[in-house]
Amino acid sequence: RLIQMSLPNISRVPASRLLRSVRDLRWLLRSIAPLAVPRRALTQMGYRRPGQPREDKPPWWRVKFDLSKGLKGMKRHFQLLKEEFFAEFVGPMGKPIIEHMLEQNQVVWEFRGPHSLQEWTISCDREIGGKSEIYLKIGKNNETCLLYGTLCSDPPKDGETRYSGYCTMRAKQPLASFDRKKYHDWSSFNTLHLRIRGDGRPWMINIIAETYYTHQKDDMYSYFLYTRGGPYWQDVKIPFSKFFLAHRGRVQDDQHRLWLDKINAIGFTLGDKADGPFQLEIDFIGVCKDYAHTEDFAYEKYKRNPEV
Amino acid sequence: MKNVLDGPADRMKCSRCLLQLVRSGRTVGQRGSLLLSPSSGQLIVQHNQQQQVLRQFRCSPASGKSQPEPVRFVNDDDTKKTKSLVTQEDLFEQVAKESRTKATFNQVIDVFTKRDIRRRGHVEFIYAALKKMPEFGVERDLTVYNKLLDVFPKEVFVPRNFIQRMFNHYPRQQECGVQVLEQMESYGIMPNIETKVLLVQIFGEKSHPIRKYQRIMYWFPRFKHTNPFPIPQPLPEDPVDLAVLSLTRIANDLDAKTTVYQLPFTDITESGEEISFPYIVGIQSPNQMELLAKHNPNRPVFVEGPFPLWLKKTCVCYYILRADPTPPEEKEEEVYDPERCFYYPLQLDLDLDRDLGDEENFDVDDLDEGPVFAMCMTSQGDQATLNQWISGLQQNNPILGRIPTLFRLDAGTRELEGVADTEAGHSHRPRPQSQREDGPPAEGPEAAVEEEEKPRRSQGMKQ
Repeated sequence: RLIQMSLPNISRVPASRLLRSVRDLRWLLRSIAPLAVPRRALTQMGYRRPGQPREDKPPWWRVKFDLSKGLKGMKRHFQLLKEEFFAEFVGPMGKPIIEHMLEQNQVVWEFRGPHSLQEWTISCDREIGGKSEIYLKIGKNNETCLLYGTLCSDPPKDGETRYSGYCTMRAKQPLASFDRKKYHDWSSFNTLHLRIRGDGRPWMINIIAETYYTHQKDDMYSYFLYTRGGPYWQDVKIPFSKFFLAHRGRVQDDQHRLWLDKINAIGFTLGDKADGPFQLEIDFIGVCKDYAHTEDFAYEKYKRNPEV
Repeated sequence: MKNVLDGPADRMKCSRCLLQLVRSGRTVGQRGSLLLSPSSGQLIVQHNQQQQVLRQFRCSPASGKSQPEPVRFVNDDDTKKTKSLVTQEDLFEQVAKESRTKATFNQVIDVFTKRDIRRRGHVEFIYAALKKMPEFGVERDLTVYNKLLDVFPKEVFVPRNFIQRMFNHYPRQQECGVQVLEQMESYGIMPNIETKVLLVQIFGEKSHPIRKYQRIMYWFPRFKHTNPFPIPQPLPEDPVDLAVLSLTRIANDLDAKTTVYQLPFTDITESGEEISFPYIVGIQSPNQMELLAKHNPNRPVFVEGPFPLWLKKTCVCYYILRADPTPPEEKEEEVYDPERCFYYPLQLDLDLDRDLGDEENFDVDDLDEGPVFAMCMTSQGDQATLNQWISGLQQNNPILGRIPTLFRLDAGTRELEGVADTEAGHSHRPRPQSQREDGPPAEGPEAAVEEEEKPRRSQGMKQ
């Protein structure tokens, strides 16, 4: 696009083509994105690795129709529906109302057994052709989870990608009966509390909140997680006011507070450019209310880069 | 990262730059009026004047030159005769045959800038230079980036009216400027006032590079001190100092004391072979000593390792001495002796009324993984060295002489502690000190490869 228009050709290019390039570049004005990022329309069908041919199959081709799976699924969904129905009689969210109103600490994810691994997805840059690896397993006494692997920041040789070397773990979206989206409601809390044991590497915590417009699909609120390393467990408390808004990894100019009433998922990313093995053990992830923390938002909200 | 603005010197540089910027603007205006008055007789003279105007127009006022230097053209007649495709990277490769230093890199940039007053192909040149920077070792040098930005011709790409501003004036050059700043951002280098002046002169305000610069200047100071466990930059070169630093970091206790049990040295044996002895640095805090003193001598202690610890880009390995958690039937309640401390009571028996729902602890089971008694770091993780460490520890903890010590030295990533039964591949250190079996260390050489990688010069982004 831009780069393909070489300097001597610009003078010969008609005005209509210049206007088309402007439409591209208006998106650049929001955040200077790297050249390798494809345009939005392409990523609606899922990520297509650069160099792979486009699939011409219709979207329903991907669904697998299987009778036994269908029956099991129906049983599970109706079971969930029944539980939800009777949970409402106990109180909001299935907890008695006193507990819901007054609770100060809530353990959101803990790792007690292999079933808790089902709630998490892991991914690394192998998807885009890189050489990192990542694995997730439960600790020996079923008490913690261990995220380990190797990081390799050699970019894949497809001519488009310039940087590489990341590993992530992300919680799956909680689902209600019939695969409806369920959100975490952390509006009565203001701090994220993690008990981890890392190896000295800096991680990044991303919180994905529910958004309305499709342009906000890759919006994430991020903050750093610095591990100390060593044999002792580390309690990390990060207030939600410290999370800054980023889109596809680019920090945005218009910042606002993370809204806690509809949270979809949380994720951990490792992207420091140190090649080699890594490991992170997590005991539990909880949210708590710190009465001493009164900050609403740590960064300025006014428009800092006004338009021309 | 020494890119902090130190007050008076930089402010003077800034004012000098800005003064020259203003001066150049004024001179351009004056000469512009000269250009507008044509006269046939003085055409040649004006042509000369025009040439002079252009020369000063495109040179950088910020570089502090009062007189325009005579342009030295590099003699490239030979290359023109062959008419082969010469990329900008060839310049770097030619120079790189001698040596790859900052001086040669600057030389290449000088050759390019002096070659052509119009700086043809500067975008390609700058991209090539950005790619070659890590090879020359200058990717963390702000002066080199400023010199590279100096390659852009000044004031040509500044939009002069609202239409030009609207239509992304000179998009290729702006993208190139943004890429220079992006490489600076990825190496964690803070730009300084000279960068800003250069960018303003080249692209004008409200351009993409200036916006990128503003974003860097907004976010970098906010994220610079977010690390609660900061790592000193640069890391100590001496491995013993590095070991002391990392052990104090993981000890999590300010009272912990490091002891250097052995400094690295090489010994020449009778047959003429050189045996190098590794360093052994250990750490133990008073709490750990207490826990070890209370440990039941019938239960073994384990020496486990090596575990990785990353400090920016260096990975070091440490070993720990720990024991399995005591089973519940053997746990005894500690009785506080009230006469141990007269200044304040060690145990309070108050009935504090908590409000309904006022609960500060999470509803999780407490993990009991067994106490850690000491940590150590050494370059060679075999059993002989660790035996030496244990015997060194024994001087302060006499109970170690009676406790059986087992070695679990598997390499590779593994969890730090687990309450499993002893795995295969450990070796037993019997109680009487006089006998010592040197069992084969399990996967020792693999551990040695993983350990002490040379500390690399680059650092992570946000630390």
